[in-house]
Amino acid sequence: MSSVVISGDTSGSITLSAPAVAGSNTITLPAATGTVMVSGNMPAFSAYKSGSTQSITSSTWTKVTFDVEEYDTNNNFSSSRFTPTVAGYYQVNASIDMLPSSGTATRASTRIYQNGSAYKNGTELQISNITEVGVIASALVYCNGSTDYIEMYALMTGTTPSVQNYGTYFQASMVRAA
Amino acid sequence: MTLFEKIKALYPSLEDKDFMTVITLQNDSDGKGDYIARWSHPEFAQPTQAELDAI
Repeated sequence: MSSVVISGDTSGSITLSAPAVAGSNTITLPAATGTVMVSGNMPAFSAYKSGSTQSITSSTWTKVTFDVEEYDTNNNFSSSRFTPTVAGYYQVNASIDMLPSSGTATRASTRIYQNGSAYKNGTELQISNITEVGVIASALVYCNGSTDYIEMYALMTGTTPSVQNYGTYFQASMVRAA
Repeated sequence: MTLFEKIKALYPSLEDKDFMTVITLQNDSDGKGDYIARWSHPEFAQPTQAELDAI
């Protein structure tokens, strides 16, 4: 059997087709009533920095830590790292707010890291007289659903910079399965 | 003195932009501190730990 056809009461039908490959596949419907959106296993999270500010070394790419989770639908965010357990493409968004402890900074940037290495660059400011700035990053990132993980890093060139506990957030959501 | 400051002391002619391009200093916020994640400067060799410790 390659398909199951469900007919409506009056007209029309829904066809569930099995893939033309060997092996078993399972479709699990979410526990919901009414209009069901089949997205129960599409991870999404949002976290932000709220407690202490984070001191970083000038001109050093530093992993940004996030201490508050707004939501984490599949429990895939831990230790400021997103490790989705469903393979697919993830929209990643982040904003990092930084400022030097004194004077002005000359560079500020953020990057999306995957598996410990820089993957996509975000905003890169190279201007004088930066006092406080928010830099952002956005990218579509593929994750294999097991070992791939995503983190946010930031850099500022200035006197004892710090990442602020406001305006600093990190989000990701699955947009398409593998 | 930070790793960045030590490297700048060793190679004063390094520019800030070098740390955005050919040199990557990194800190994984795991308590292990700053380290050199990448060094591909065309002119200056990556400093040894002994050279850094001597500063």
